Amino acid sequence: MDDLRRGFHTDLGEAKNQLVRLAAQVTETIPRATAVLLDGDLEGADYLIRADDEVDNRTLELEEHCYRILALQAPVATDLRQVVALLRMSAEVERSADLLCNICKAARRIYGHDLDPKLRGIIGRMGEQAAQLYDAAITSFVENDAAKAAALDDMDSFLDGLQKQFVQAIFESHAAGRIDLQVAVQLAVVARFYERIGDHAVNIAERVQFIITGENTV
Amino acid sequence: MTTSNTDLSTPDATASLPESISEPAPTAAPPVFELRDLEVYYGSFRAVREVNMQVMAHEITAFIGPSGCGKTTVLRSLNRMNDVVAGARVGGKVLYHGVDLYAPDVSVTEVRHRIGMVFQRPNPFPKSIYDNVAFGPRVNGVKKKSDLDEIVESSLRGAALWDEVKDRLKSSALGMSGGQQQRLCIARAIAVEPEVILMDEPCSALDPIATARIEDLMQEIKGRFTIIIVTHNMQQAARVSDRTAFFTTEVNPESDRRTGVLVEYAATSKIFSAPGDERTEQYVTGRFG
Repeated sequence: MDDLRRGFHTDLGEAKNQLVRLAAQVTETIPRATAVLLDGDLEGADYLIRADDEVDNRTLELEEHCYRILALQAPVATDLRQVVALLRMSAEVERSADLLCNICKAARRIYGHDLDPKLRGIIGRMGEQAAQLYDAAITSFVENDAAKAAALDDMDSFLDGLQKQFVQAIFESHAAGRIDLQVAVQLAVVARFYERIGDHAVNIAERVQFIITGENTV
Repeated sequence: MTTSNTDLSTPDATASLPESISEPAPTAAPPVFELRDLEVYYGSFRAVREVNMQVMAHEITAFIGPSGCGKTTVLRSLNRMNDVVAGARVGGKVLYHGVDLYAPDVSVTEVRHRIGMVFQRPNPFPKSIYDNVAFGPRVNGVKKKSDLDEIVESSLRGAALWDEVKDRLKSSALGMSGGQQQRLCIARAIAVEPEVILMDEPCSALDPIATARIEDLMQEIKGRFTIIIVTHNMQQAARVSDRTAFFTTEVNPESDRRTGVLVEYAATSKIFSAPGDERTEQYVTGRFG
């Protein structure tokens, strides 16, 4: 049977693409924000913080697009789940972009303070893991792959583990007098930001499962 | 017969538009229709009053509203279909590319050639599929078989019907399904290459699949035509149209007579997400109607 309501389905496909582009931008920003933090790159921090406005605008566009589809097309079944999921996923992506901004702001606050290699190593790994989580979440969405989406929970445990290790390393570094309390607190908060980005990726993957199976999980 | 200019006058008439409509305007495209204080009377009964709106080219414009609000009356006034109703008369102006459609020198045949119509119930002639589509072109003087064949094929393709009927063009149109008959009526309408197609509840006698096909078809052909559709189905207006006009009835407290009025005319996305008039809001949310 040929595709009825082609115009509507194309429109829905475009909304999906908008989310994918948005999420891809966030995924690409994760390693850049990590580099800003590790290199004390103030210019880069400035650039990424300003780039967040674009993410905000594009999120708003996607939201309005979904709103229009709901108002005009009365989507049902998978189409309905898709639109509702897009609305929720767009909020996750937007929040993740804010957290990346926060990492850049932390980079400004600890500017000029040297971090020991152990701390730097774990920051690098947290960044990589968060980016991998995001990449997997969005791939599962693009490929409509429930199994891949389900795998994110375990991938996220690894990031949670890194965060705990990092907090331990902060204590050690502080106790040894290599970083002062202010820097220690900033770093602990940064670890929390990465951990939250991972959580948002997990939430996106849960929405993907919802689209495919129709079952809501939290 | 040419459709490249807006000369609607009978051959001996003097009034005509000098400019070709294929010439793009320097700024925004001018409207296809402009209604100025349009009123339609049936005898002494004023069915609709003071309608002011512009219909833009290559858009789908939907008329919605409760029964008796005058939406069909307004639609029918756009190709002078009300002329056939005894006692019907029109006040105000209906300008088509600036030409007053009700000016005395305007040829009604020419008007209906430019502005085609598809009705609520599919109404194919009791003829073959081929002859239904070829009817208009023949009336317009196309005689050569190869020319007619070409028009029939392109019209049926345009109405997304060719693949379903190409092997039975000589069979009776009455043997087709309702949805196919309606698409045949669209093919028949586009065979004479009108500029505008008026559709009066074209899907109300069709099942949802046939309805979806007609809606898809409207999207496909709107690049070539300007479409105005009256629909009882609000969701249909939402799905297919670019602009929506909401009509309702007002009761005159003295005479207790009802008259149709245009309440709001705006982008469809606005009508269905943030209408400007309380009555539109009430109607589209199902709180009255």
